[in-house]
Amino acid sequence: MNSVAVEMRDVSKVFGPVKALNQASLTIEYGTIHGVVGQNGAGKSTIIKVLAGIYRHDEGSIFVEGKELKSITPKIIEKCGIHFIHQDRLLVSTATVAEAIFLRNEPTFGPFINHRKMNAQATELLQRYFDLELDPTTLITDLSTAQQKIVQITRSLSQNAKVLVLDEPTAALVTKEVESLFTVLRRLKEEGIAIVFISHYMSEIESICDTVTVLRNGENVGQVSPKEVGIEKIVTMMTNRDTSEMYPRRNVEVGAPVLEVDNLSLASHFDSVSFQVGAGEVVGLAGLLGSGDKEVLQSLFGLLPPDSGTVSIDGTSHKFRSPVNAVENGIAMIPEDRRAHGVAVNLSIAENITLASVDKISKRGFVNRQEEIESVDALIEELGVKTPSGDMLVRNLSGGNQQKVVVAKWLSCDSRVYLLDEPTVAVDVGSKIEIYGLINRLAAEGKGIVFVSSDFEELAEMCDRVLVIYKGEIIGEYEGSSINSEQLLAAASGKKITINRSAV
Amino acid sequence: MKLQLFKSDMNSNGYTLQKMAIRLGAFAAFLGIMVFFAVTARGFTTSYNILNIIEQSTILGFLAFGITVVFIGTGTDVQKGGIDLSIAANAGLCAAVYAVLLERGYGDSLAIPAAIATGLCVGFLNGFAVVTLRIMPLLSTLAVMNIAAGLELAVTQNTVIGAASPLLDTLAFGKFLGISALAWCLIIGAALMVAIVHYSPVGLRLYSVGGNVEAAKSVGIYAGRYVYGSYLFSGFAAGAASILIVARLSASTPGTGLLLLPVLAAALLGAVFSRRFVPTIGGTLLAVLFIGALSNGFQLLGISSYWVSGVQGALILVVVAVTSFAKKS
Repeated sequence: MNSVAVEMRDVSKVFGPVKALNQASLTIEYGTIHGVVGQNGAGKSTIIKVLAGIYRHDEGSIFVEGKELKSITPKIIEKCGIHFIHQDRLLVSTATVAEAIFLRNEPTFGPFINHRKMNAQATELLQRYFDLELDPTTLITDLSTAQQKIVQITRSLSQNAKVLVLDEPTAALVTKEVESLFTVLRRLKEEGIAIVFISHYMSEIESICDTVTVLRNGENVGQVSPKEVGIEKIVTMMTNRDTSEMYPRRNVEVGAPVLEVDNLSLASHFDSVSFQVGAGEVVGLAGLLGSGDKEVLQSLFGLLPPDSGTVSIDGTSHKFRSPVNAVENGIAMIPEDRRAHGVAVNLSIAENITLASVDKISKRGFVNRQEEIESVDALIEELGVKTPSGDMLVRNLSGGNQQKVVVAKWLSCDSRVYLLDEPTVAVDVGSKIEIYGLINRLAAEGKGIVFVSSDFEELAEMCDRVLVIYKGEIIGEYEGSSINSEQLLAAASGKKITINRSAV
Repeated sequence: MKLQLFKSDMNSNGYTLQKMAIRLGAFAAFLGIMVFFAVTARGFTTSYNILNIIEQSTILGFLAFGITVVFIGTGTDVQKGGIDLSIAANAGLCAAVYAVLLERGYGDSLAIPAAIATGLCVGFLNGFAVVTLRIMPLLSTLAVMNIAAGLELAVTQNTVIGAASPLLDTLAFGKFLGISALAWCLIIGAALMVAIVHYSPVGLRLYSVGGNVEAAKSVGIYAGRYVYGSYLFSGFAAGAASILIVARLSASTPGTGLLLLPVLAAALLGAVFSRRFVPTIGGTLLAVLFIGALSNGFQLLGISSYWVSGVQGALILVVVAVTSFAKKS
């Protein structure tokens, strides 16, 4: 039974100066569930996109059932029976279950769709593979997330899929739904289908995968069986301990609380979140995709008003119904998607920087240009934004420099609390270090800082304290020098484990 | 062993109930207004008047089918999706072309293809602006509307152009099984549309392009072609409607562009009648009859026709507000 379905051998892929994949290999057998794990940027999604025919690999070879594929396009791959279930549920919400399953393969009667046959076949497929009784005329929008996943899988099976690649299939599922999805996957495995399972959740990898390929920095670190080696070993394989000079140190005495969050709740995002941030303290929120970490931040900034709970700044409690409200009361946010939320790319650096503090430099309703130029020039120099002048359009700056402009924008308005959402995402190493320096400077000025990042190493190194958030609840707190990224990753994956220090 | 799957969204029940209430409300409003007119407006329920409403609705219906197809293929969200504001002006231009050719002595065999081709050209222009040039549909079709309206004036010199042909006579005065030719046009047109939109693979794919472009592309549907196609169809519908317009008035007259408001109102209102809150042919047909009855009832009650367009405008606002409210999850 266990014959090789897909083999990717020594595959490399280069994006500009970055080696996203460096001679990575992946061997998938029929009748098994194969996990692919790695930290962000380890090359998980790149290797999957190469297999899907979305990226062309620069080196290496790919075999399907022993035959080498010379050219790979999404169509060829689908003909080989390899199907991808994407993380975002690509379904038409106003379609019915049967329509979603058979779109573009509709059973027809003359020139018309044979609705009766289509519905009957959909019912039969759902029954056969999943023992699931679902009215095929139900609308997709009325299905649960797990049911939508199952509809996507059924669609692939209806086209005789032999290999199913699931990208973070459980990201939006609640525990019960995860259980039922796993039942489905085990059943498919018994039918001889090969399943590739990509997930951040270590506990899930352990409970469902037969073999796991671990990637780090685009390279294979090994293929292991999670039942034999255990999750601790896999986590150690994933994380890289070489952190050396990346993180500048700071020496700040933590003062009285600036931000106090008490029992903050928002339905279906997070529940009873409480924590404090002292003056000069950097507090990290570590959570995996969909854990609610970003939503907490957005709630604090008034973007997602919470259902209940209080937020106090310097001891005064506030209810933020909008970002304007939050800014007025001393909260600043550096959002993840800087192009969408952080900078106005078609304005100049100077205009961007003074956007949030325009009242401070205005007199009788007019902007004082002289003052704008002076304060901006000082900030540009201080932050090391690489630009000939403050008049340059932000659009023309690199990602790292754009991010610095966002930071400068908030520095100029002198807030009490800074919320940082992935401040170093898609930023080169040099700029990262400068942004870390800025964070330290904010701390030195006695600000409270809340830091969300999916780079747990960064959190471990930069934060005084890290709160681990899992499925909307804070489940752990780590302090001081005892924080390490393996611990955080394991905890955020919902796995209570002790790290074997000698293995590191 | 049974799989246990739960709808994770806890508000879903209230949400479906809300949708249901809106749909039932729409039907109730429709019936209520019909009953109101039947009671208060004299002659509203006579067979002559009802036939009159249907005949009036034919032209509206053809145009509304055109816009409905655009709505289906370009996103059921009216504000972010596509729209064809040029359709009524396009019909006016087609009618002008048709009438002028007949007046110059060319027969139907040339004039009809010419009218349809004119409609398709305008439709293509819309598709080009929206798909190829990626101009916002609200703006691009507004611009095309003005082009079409300008051309119509150039062709007709802003005058009434009388037209006559055997076909026009049949359309205007013909009867079959006691039902007038125009009414038959609506019945046959609607049946064809239902077959294509609701029973053919093309229809399903068109819905999927409008419903979720990424999902449609991910199964290998060429989304752009479908959007182009919907604008071409809308142009075709304008061409077909223009012949009925000329038949009904025995002439091409200025002012066809004013049909845009009721057509738009009908196509938008139609979505409220469907289970999925998407535009459907049946829903549009119902909405067209509703709008036809509304202006007819107002006429019978002696209310100035100026009010009718106000009511139609208000209707658009209400429908768009309600549907976008209902869609918000």
